[in-house]
Amino acid sequence: MKLRNEILATLVAALALSAMPWLLSDFGLSLTLTCLMYAGLAVSWAMFCGATNYLSLATAAFFGLGAYVSAWGADSLPYGLMVLLGGLLAAAFAGMVGAAVLHLRGAYFAVITFGLGELVRHAITYYEKAFEGTVGRIIAEPPEAVTIYHTVLLLAVLAVVTALAVRASRLGLALRGIGADEERAQTLGVNARRAKIAAFALSAFFAGALGAAMAVRWTYIDPPTVFNPFIGFQTVLIAMVGGAQTIIGPIASSILFSLLTEYLRLEFPYLFLIILGLLLILLVLYLPGGLASLMQRWRWGKNNA
Amino acid sequence: MREALLSAKGISVRFGGLVAVDGVDLEVHGGELVGVIGPNGAGKTTFFHTLSGVLAPSTGRIFVAGEDLTGRPAHAFATQGVARTFQTPRVFKEMPALDNVRFGLEFAGRTRRHAHDAFDDPRAILEFLGLAEVAGVPAGGLTPSRQRLLEIGMALGARPRVLLLDEVAAGLTHAEVDQTAQLIRRVRDELGLAVIWIEHAVRVLMNYVERVAVLHQGRKIADGDPRAVAKDPAVVEAYLGTEGEPERKAA
Repeated sequence: MKLRNEILATLVAALALSAMPWLLSDFGLSLTLTCLMYAGLAVSWAMFCGATNYLSLATAAFFGLGAYVSAWGADSLPYGLMVLLGGLLAAAFAGMVGAAVLHLRGAYFAVITFGLGELVRHAITYYEKAFEGTVGRIIAEPPEAVTIYHTVLLLAVLAVVTALAVRASRLGLALRGIGADEERAQTLGVNARRAKIAAFALSAFFAGALGAAMAVRWTYIDPPTVFNPFIGFQTVLIAMVGGAQTIIGPIASSILFSLLTEYLRLEFPYLFLIILGLLLILLVLYLPGGLASLMQRWRWGKNNA
Repeated sequence: MREALLSAKGISVRFGGLVAVDGVDLEVHGGELVGVIGPNGAGKTTFFHTLSGVLAPSTGRIFVAGEDLTGRPAHAFATQGVARTFQTPRVFKEMPALDNVRFGLEFAGRTRRHAHDAFDDPRAILEFLGLAEVAGVPAGGLTPSRQRLLEIGMALGARPRVLLLDEVAAGLTHAEVDQTAQLIRRVRDELGLAVIWIEHAVRVLMNYVERVAVLHQGRKIADGDPRAVAKDPAVVEAYLGTEGEPERKAA
């Protein structure tokens, strides 16, 4: 019942957001698009990492893989199909890599997943140079801005609905058990390896699909742009600042972050990264449970008033 | 003779040059309550790790209800009906007590039914353990002795056929130990489980089990009726050699 209400609320919000292309200016729409992209990335990241306490920095790798599916298929495949393929390729890659490295924990896993992004980036750079004779690709006929917006909106909504469903499912329970005490969960019958690979691949699907969906906006695609580690870090930060154990937290913080980044960039073009960095440090120091813990505290206070 | 529910044959565990468990055999049938005792470092917990699949033995084989599970991962043991507790309670601290019990039901216990369904509901298990009123409390907030009980509840949630208890009486008062032992006998009787109960404090265990096995320096030196085992010269020596007063009374 609770799950149905949450999904219903998500769909109502999605319906309202789908009208934005006719209500907002180009600038407003582009800002909303960024919000949605980060909401989708952060929610899908938290779906695996929040529950299991894994720190994955592979988002940039999955995002970039998806983007390259767009770059390769731009002239021959329909946009929707590329988005799907981008997601599937990223998920397949995550499943393969996950089978090899998901037994690692903590800093080892973080470093490996970060290295993964670099590996894919260099592999694609090499492939493009050696076999295609190019360093970047131009997307000649990108889809309409409205189409892109609606596709990204759809992916973000799917990510939220999937995260809600996973949280309410046995997989979600298994992931929380793994996060709390993996060996204990195994002695109670959880096939930890299978659960982790499945969830890692599922979360990679959204990063890959979002990469494929967003890539067409850049018109010129090269590895440094789409494998930008900033996207991966930003996703992790948004999810952690929002509260990675929750779903609403990453959504709220992706809106906050996108607006804040834009505002600071316009008002303090030279200082904005410094200010953003300081804000982050303060948030992590004084609000380790994320924005979601603030909401919980507020709710708790109200109930006890 | 009936087939044993759990059968360990020639289990050895080596860590580098150290032999922690050395060729131990143990057979336990449904409805049996077997104690395993031994001085510190006798290899009791390591032996338990192999029985629950947490650790693969260096040599030897483990059969659960006739099926060879040697070398299989821990979740395969759990799915076959081996449930255990840990010496230091390892409850899911942030989950409510109820979800801790439900956890086993959702995974290992999913494919089995109990002999009768009194324990098919996590609330019934909590009730049975006297933990009903803390069902909604995060497990990390319970007292240590309640966490020990909850550990048993988690294991029962997995609808076990074989229940492995690792020092569940440690740190409990006399009355609490007695209560816990009654409880263990009751589940054993009602569900026909095979129960293996490790305890470091011998006196506690001797009163409650019908059969006891003694581990010493990784080897099984005795196995049988508690009274007979207590008089066994090898057992007396093992305990007097390494421990002191309290165990003398048991022997």
